[in-house]
Amino acid sequence: MTTLLIAAAKAPVIDYKGISPLFAVAGGAVIVLMAALIRGRFAQRVLVPFLTVGALGAAIGLSIWNWHTGDSRPIVEGALAIDPLALGLSLLFYITGLATVAFAWRSRALRESGTGEFFGLMLGSIAGMTILGSAENLITLFVGIELLSIPLYVMCASDVRRETSLESGLKYLVIGSVGSATLLYGLALIYGATGHTGFAEINNAIGNSVNLTDPLLLTGIALAAAGLAFKASVAPFHAWTPDVYEGAPTPVTAFMAVATKTAAFAVILRFFLEALVSAQEQWAPALAALAVITIIVGNVGAIAQNSLKRMLAWSGVAQAGYMLAGVVVGTQLGLQATAFYLAMYLFMNLAAFGVVIARERVSEHGDGLKSLEGLGSASPLLAWPMTIAMLSLAGFPATAGFIGKFYLISAAVDGNWAWLGVMIVVGSMLSLVYYLRVIAVMWMTPLKIELPGRPRRARREVQPVAGWSPEADPRAQPEVLLVTLIMAAATIFFGIVPSPLFHLAHDVGTSISALFS
Amino acid sequence: MTIYLSIILFLPGVAGMLALLVPRRLAGWTLVTGTLLTLAYTIVMLARFKIGGGMQFVTDDNWISELGIRYHLGVDGLNLFLVILTALLWVPASIAAALREWDRPRLFMMFMGLSETAVLGAFMAQDLALFVVFFDLMLVPFYFLVGMWGGEDRVYATTKLVIYTLAGSLLMLAAAVALGVMATPAGGHISFSLATLAQHPLSGGSQYWLFILFAVAFLVKAPAFPLHGWMPDAYREAPLPVILVFSAVVSKVGVYGFLRIVLPVLPQASVHFQELMLAIAVVSILYGSILAFSQDEARLVLGYSSVAQLGFIILGIFSLDPKGGQGAVMQMINHGLVTAPLFLIIGYLAIRAQGRDSLDWMGGMALRAPVLAGVFLIVALATLAMPGSANFVGELYILFGTFQSKIVYGIVASAGVVLAAVYMIRFYQRAMHNPVGPQVESRDLALGPELGVIAPLVLVILALGVYPNFLLHRINAFAPTANDRTEVSVIK
Amino acid sequence: MLKSYFPVVIFILLGAGVGTAFTLLNNVLGPRRPNPVKREPYECGLPSEVKRNFRFGISFYLIAMLFILFDIEVIFLYPVAIQLKALGTFALVETVVFIALLLVGFVFVWRRGALEWR
Repeated sequence: MTTLLIAAAKAPVIDYKGISPLFAVAGGAVIVLMAALIRGRFAQRVLVPFLTVGALGAAIGLSIWNWHTGDSRPIVEGALAIDPLALGLSLLFYITGLATVAFAWRSRALRESGTGEFFGLMLGSIAGMTILGSAENLITLFVGIELLSIPLYVMCASDVRRETSLESGLKYLVIGSVGSATLLYGLALIYGATGHTGFAEINNAIGNSVNLTDPLLLTGIALAAAGLAFKASVAPFHAWTPDVYEGAPTPVTAFMAVATKTAAFAVILRFFLEALVSAQEQWAPALAALAVITIIVGNVGAIAQNSLKRMLAWSGVAQAGYMLAGVVVGTQLGLQATAFYLAMYLFMNLAAFGVVIARERVSEHGDGLKSLEGLGSASPLLAWPMTIAMLSLAGFPATAGFIGKFYLISAAVDGNWAWLGVMIVVGSMLSLVYYLRVIAVMWMTPLKIELPGRPRRARREVQPVAGWSPEADPRAQPEVLLVTLIMAAATIFFGIVPSPLFHLAHDVGTSISALFS
Repeated sequence: MTIYLSIILFLPGVAGMLALLVPRRLAGWTLVTGTLLTLAYTIVMLARFKIGGGMQFVTDDNWISELGIRYHLGVDGLNLFLVILTALLWVPASIAAALREWDRPRLFMMFMGLSETAVLGAFMAQDLALFVVFFDLMLVPFYFLVGMWGGEDRVYATTKLVIYTLAGSLLMLAAAVALGVMATPAGGHISFSLATLAQHPLSGGSQYWLFILFAVAFLVKAPAFPLHGWMPDAYREAPLPVILVFSAVVSKVGVYGFLRIVLPVLPQASVHFQELMLAIAVVSILYGSILAFSQDEARLVLGYSSVAQLGFIILGIFSLDPKGGQGAVMQMINHGLVTAPLFLIIGYLAIRAQGRDSLDWMGGMALRAPVLAGVFLIVALATLAMPGSANFVGELYILFGTFQSKIVYGIVASAGVVLAAVYMIRFYQRAMHNPVGPQVESRDLALGPELGVIAPLVLVILALGVYPNFLLHRINAFAPTANDRTEVSVIK
Repeated sequence: MLKSYFPVVIFILLGAGVGTAFTLLNNVLGPRRPNPVKREPYECGLPSEVKRNFRFGISFYLIAMLFILFDIEVIFLYPVAIQLKALGTFALVETVVFIALLLVGFVFVWRRGALEWR
């Protein structure tokens, strides 16, 4: 037996070029952690964030260097593979990471937990996402999910002196572990049924050596889907989302809302469309049901929220439902539309979160809806990005969200899931109620400014005649403002000229050759 | 000289953007200049328009080729006058806006300009997806215009307005995408071009559900009877220049959609649902007329009368008869032309009644303000379709078409003509005659700012009353062919 | 396929059976003469100093946890040791990288003062 093992073992072939983006972020995490040991303000405030940005920038560059169209190319013996799907979605992770650096730079969470720790964990989490995006194997998939989640649990609790932040971290840990366990159980059953861990082999086995209605396989798929649904906050596995999003420091919330969701969808796309595409007729109706529930639950849940973070959390649930519809279709077009929507989702959400961050630091209402009151006249530089983000999330034309929904609906109709397309628009109708409320609060309330930083009893509300307090000026946080404006501009730009992203989405669509047939 | 529709389309929007940059007090006049230039350009277009020349001045470029969306604009006998009407009526609206003091005037003018661009886009689009884009885009400026500058309950009113209309247009979005995808032969490149879609009609089953989705969107916009819930609040709260264009022009986009999209693309379904639509039309006429009669607020009189008038237009469209269709288009123009001055008059009356636009506060102004009374009377008579007005010809054509196809609905709808006379005369009487209102100040129209704005519109009404053939000739050229196609498919 | 797992089942049953049997037999057969000293928790024959509500310092847990982490990570070196010949240079490089990462972790823990007793 020992001789057999020795004969089988050989050094794996590693494509170092292909794996280089992962090296950049993982290596970046180590370097950032070491740099954080240097004492002094400069190292903490400038060097560490700069190194983080450098690592992410390098990863972006290396991903672009690796860009190729066509089917996956294995880079580590069938454990990881790169293709446009992996690379394209990794770009989204890195961009979100960059935005998070800007968002977190002045945050209290960063001071409380230490700059190096925070950014090191973030880079670690991004490394997990990168692995997840290119996983070709059940085991790598699980490793990726854990590497993604564990730093996030800590990041949620990074504002260590605020109880809600700790609560959020703990809650996420408990629920995330339940999700991971469910997923692992499902993966184990799928392995049990098919006898393979590689996605391609699993797909070959299904329908050939394994019956489509094999209960072991179906249970495995169901449990794995439930586990992934936890991560993507798909109803009915979404209950943690609003609480965790609300409690976590807002930069972390932004990171979770965008990057984690993208990563979850990266793996959902790959897992269902590559490993399980032969069993599509089995899982598609179930996922369609989940999508419908998610759209309705998310949109209804968001209506009554007064906290912007909770509102965005629920809206994120609803958006997950729309994207799940793209997965259900199970065609190349569906894959493209989902990937495209993920990119759009990044722009609109980061713009919205940027405004929330900028406002919650100066407003006594925190992240409450009231913190936006009168923003339209007080600081249009923040009001416009928020307006654009809300219009885009609601799916108004000339914004990215419209094109994204258009694409999703046309993919749904094209794949004979027309009713799912109608569900997307029904969801959008419900969503108008809460998105428009935000706009109304910003533009249609009489302008009164609370002076920030005053004790509650002495609070005065003044008309903005004598001057608007310097802290409340968005220009006091140029990095947040800059990211917000860039994201809002991108939302509009890609709403009018979406072709560049369509080219990327088209490349992404070529990733999974099983869908061509 | 070649006519570029893109210039017409974007000129007002650009003027609106410019208004953001100029000093506050110039913002309004920047927009007015923009709308005037647009109007001038459309008149040149009218002069160049070839009667019976089909689709003209076409601009057709790729916009988003991956989704098959083309930037395809064109003008033909169906939308020619609607484009001109839009360009025409935004002028008095923006002048009225420029003459008033606004909070944040530059933003107001920007949204006004943007709204004209969106409406023009919806009228000129020859690509279904492009139409949907502009149809939805229209809502954004109106949402802000009503919500930021409206009356007390403006936020409620504007939210209701947007949710009602966008609910409709999102359904239309789904229907449009479905239509484009399903009409594309397998493997072909997806296209939303209306001409292409009309050549490949879908099978009956899918036509039916698509028709319902489109119809809801268009009926909400009109508004027609069961879907008019947003109307009273929006009419009550919106600022006057905004509701002027909304009622006179934007409400036509929906019914225009029936003629441009639903009839040619979904012919079978249009026949299938003809009776339902006729019933909706007739109920709208009766309901709108009766409620218009019982309103005390001047704006709501006009609001409900719009429901009735648009009922007539829908009646004409779904008579599925060439004459009826032609009458419907004509009536769209006429209704726009009379509604705008009526709203201006309400504004003038409100100024004289201490800012209130309730009929209870008006009255007895005719004696001291003969010009105002005269103008009001002309417009009111045109509205109730007095013989000799273009409205009379329009309604006649509509009723004629309806009698040809479904005589029962025609008979019931005829009652609406009488009812229109009743509510319009009551409106006129209570505002101008009757005992003098408690705090009425009977000034006549000021020559420059007041008469100057309204007189050109009244002249257009009079001119068209004298020579309705100017409209009929040009509309003749297209509307029947739209309906001919329907008839052909009915016979098939 | 499942047949090959049969010995495992036998093993589990046997283990459970023998364990239960010994415990039961001890209970039935063994003599019982209790006295107070015998009832004390066992602590090297001396009377216990630790009170019921005694708490360990947080540093204890921290150091114990770090010990476990570094201790367990060394276990991962064993499989490489067995297969070193077959894997060659690759394994060597991998091991060095692995240990270097451990070192990074150690330096971090040390510089952050987690090893100081407070």
